[in-house]
Amino acid sequence: MQDQQPKNLKRRGFLLAAGVGSAGAVALVASRVGKDAAKPLTTVSAEEKTGSYAETPHISNYYRTARV
Amino acid sequence: MARMKFLCDSERCIECNGCVTACKNEHEVPWGVNRRRVVTVNDGVPGEKSISVSCMHCSDAPCMAVCPTDCFYKTDEGVVLHNKDACIGCGYCFFACPFGAPQFPNGPAAFGARGKMDKCTFCAGGPEENGSKEEFEKYGRNRISEGKLPACAEMCSTKALLAGDATVVSDIFRDRALRRGKAGDAAWGWTTAYGKPEQAQERTQERTREQKQEGGK
Repeated sequence: MQDQQPKNLKRRGFLLAAGVGSAGAVALVASRVGKDAAKPLTTVSAEEKTGSYAETPHISNYYRTARV
Repeated sequence: MARMKFLCDSERCIECNGCVTACKNEHEVPWGVNRRRVVTVNDGVPGEKSISVSCMHCSDAPCMAVCPTDCFYKTDEGVVLHNKDACIGCGYCFFACPFGAPQFPNGPAAFGARGKMDKCTFCAGGPEENGSKEEFEKYGRNRISEGKLPACAEMCSTKALLAGDATVVSDIFRDRALRRGKAGDAAWGWTTAYGKPEQAQERTQERTREQKQEGGK
């Protein structure tokens, strides 16, 4: 039975390294995604949004030419 | 509060596609997306009619009703706009719109790969800050905030495409319809579109009198 014990366990270190590596990659991606998501949206509310329609001289001139 | 509307005078539209070009140029619309296009009925037949079509900024917009993310909103002036950050590119609005206004940059593609919906904004931008880089990149130029009207209408050489305050636009069109004085398939051509030459002279004289009166005030 003692002969069945594995003598060299070093090769299993690959599994450990792969696990640690993939966890690190996930953490890196997650941190970047988090930064993007944390960016404030540039949208403004309807109350804050100014500059609505007003009949400027430019627009009056357009109406005048359309009446021709 | 003024209510914004488009109106295309089919008697005057000469299918030059100037409105389409003006729109694409003004907003740097991506290749394959047409926010506006000219449709001709009975093409090649005498009496054919053309109209310029884009988003009609409906009072009860079906696109707004079907959007699952509720990305549409309406401004105080009745302009239907949308938030591209909330759009998921599902295409429901495209199927709901009777004018085919919603456009997708990636064309017909399966599995939601169409991209964010793009449509006419009445040159009123989007929810971003007026005139900002983000607003231009997503929605194009915001001419309304600059005190101007949509580029397509301002560019129209025959003034077939009218845009602006619905009351003024309907007045302009009513005047034209009254001058024409007739309707039906037989009514087409220069006289129908612009009135008879003597009427044009009368209008010019009226306008000159008005300008003199205004100048005298």
